[in-house]
Amino acid sequence: MTLTQNSLPGPAEIYAELERIAEGAKTLGRLMSTKAKLAQTPKELIWTLNKAKLYRYAPVVPEAKRHGIPLLLVFAIMNRPYVLDLRPGHSFVEYMLRHGYDVYLLDWGIPGPEDKNIKFDDYAMEYLPRAIRKVKAVSGSDEFSMLGWCLGALITTIYASLRPDDGLKNLLLLTAPLDFANKQAGGFVRWTSDQSFNADKLIDAYGNMPGELIDYGAKALKPVENYVGNYLNLWDNISNPKVVDAWHAMNTWVTELIPMAGGAYRQLINEFYKENRLMNGTLTIRGEQVDLRKLRANLFNVIAEADHITPSCQSEGVMDKVSSADKELFRVRGGHIGIMAGSGAEKNTWPHIETWLAARSD
Amino acid sequence: MSQKNDNGNLFDPTGMIKGMRDASMDSWAKMMVQLVNTDAYSQATGAMMDAWLTTSTPFRKALESTMTQVLANLNMPTRSDVVGLAERLTNIELRLDDMEAKLDEAQRAARKPAAAAKKEPKDAA
Repeated sequence: MTLTQNSLPGPAEIYAELERIAEGAKTLGRLMSTKAKLAQTPKELIWTLNKAKLYRYAPVVPEAKRHGIPLLLVFAIMNRPYVLDLRPGHSFVEYMLRHGYDVYLLDWGIPGPEDKNIKFDDYAMEYLPRAIRKVKAVSGSDEFSMLGWCLGALITTIYASLRPDDGLKNLLLLTAPLDFANKQAGGFVRWTSDQSFNADKLIDAYGNMPGELIDYGAKALKPVENYVGNYLNLWDNISNPKVVDAWHAMNTWVTELIPMAGGAYRQLINEFYKENRLMNGTLTIRGEQVDLRKLRANLFNVIAEADHITPSCQSEGVMDKVSSADKELFRVRGGHIGIMAGSGAEKNTWPHIETWLAARSD
Repeated sequence: MSQKNDNGNLFDPTGMIKGMRDASMDSWAKMMVQLVNTDAYSQATGAMMDAWLTTSTPFRKALESTMTQVLANLNMPTRSDVVGLAERLTNIELRLDDMEAKLDEAQRAARKPAAAAKKEPKDAA
């Protein structure tokens, strides 16, 4: 409501403002009580193992015009992967399909109490290689590209270092938490490095790491923005359908909390965050030492400059360790999720990924 | 996105309130980010979590053992029974996946000579 210099608001203006507020409150109520329709791109389930599922998206470009090398998307293990296919018109999957890629998505699923002992060893050397085998069988290609995001990037890096001759041609890492040498960088490292933080005790009590605790941890890194600012920003734009739809989709994704397998969480805190084993060369997966120098695939490492979950220093160090002849570090303005799912992703991130990959996918 | 009233227009009270709100939010947000990044905060959260786990564990364990006994007396499977069964199913799935992999491999190997045989007459011609 804006008052002009010569007039005070009349009853009609006040009524209109009250109506606008009532309409906004109605919209807000709808957004908070309903779920947006996400992950609408047509796909086919081609493989399952325990809770893990592998999907192949229906190609939209004729085979003759498609890139020869399939792309496998690997998301983190403590959130649902459909942030990569958020909503029609704003979906990374849709974008890559339109650009002629044969796209596959590995969904790790929701761990149950029986999965409490699953570790990164299992994800990287049991589940992922089997999913890759299926990608190769379905696509008919011996080579493949892999995009790992967040902890998915950690898993794909471990795999790429342990199985450099398995046909991995291109590895794309997004906001990859790999290097935890700097104990002052970011809240997570600080909190978990403290002597009183005992991951073993936590997992002994809960079995799996509860989704609510993971969510609290992520939100507590920026408490005001997440608990207050997020809703205020929505309220300010409540009459803008574009902003409202985007917020609804993102909120639906953010509020679907899933636990993290206890074994993996224990390992993440003790072996990665506290001991930085991957970068120190002391990480052992299924009895094999993980040597980053063995990673030879073409590497595209995307860093979010305003990432408070994975500060850039956690992703940069890997560039000097790997043996890839073709490697590039790419910085994008934005946050951990925003660079891929935010409103600017289609302009600022996706085209760079696609251009880099297109030159290496035939 | 949201429009800010940065011009300090006295005749736009809503805009002024919004501007003040945004400014105070910014400083509050910065202060909180600094706070959660202190060692004191890390120690406090770690200590709180530790205290919670230490005090709640005996109760949780007592409840678990009581529940196990109750279920056993009712001839019903306990949580660990169900978990054990699920683990066995996963192992069976792994074996099935191994078999599928071998079948895929055999199919692929069989397709190669067939494709080569189809090519040969053309090449000969």
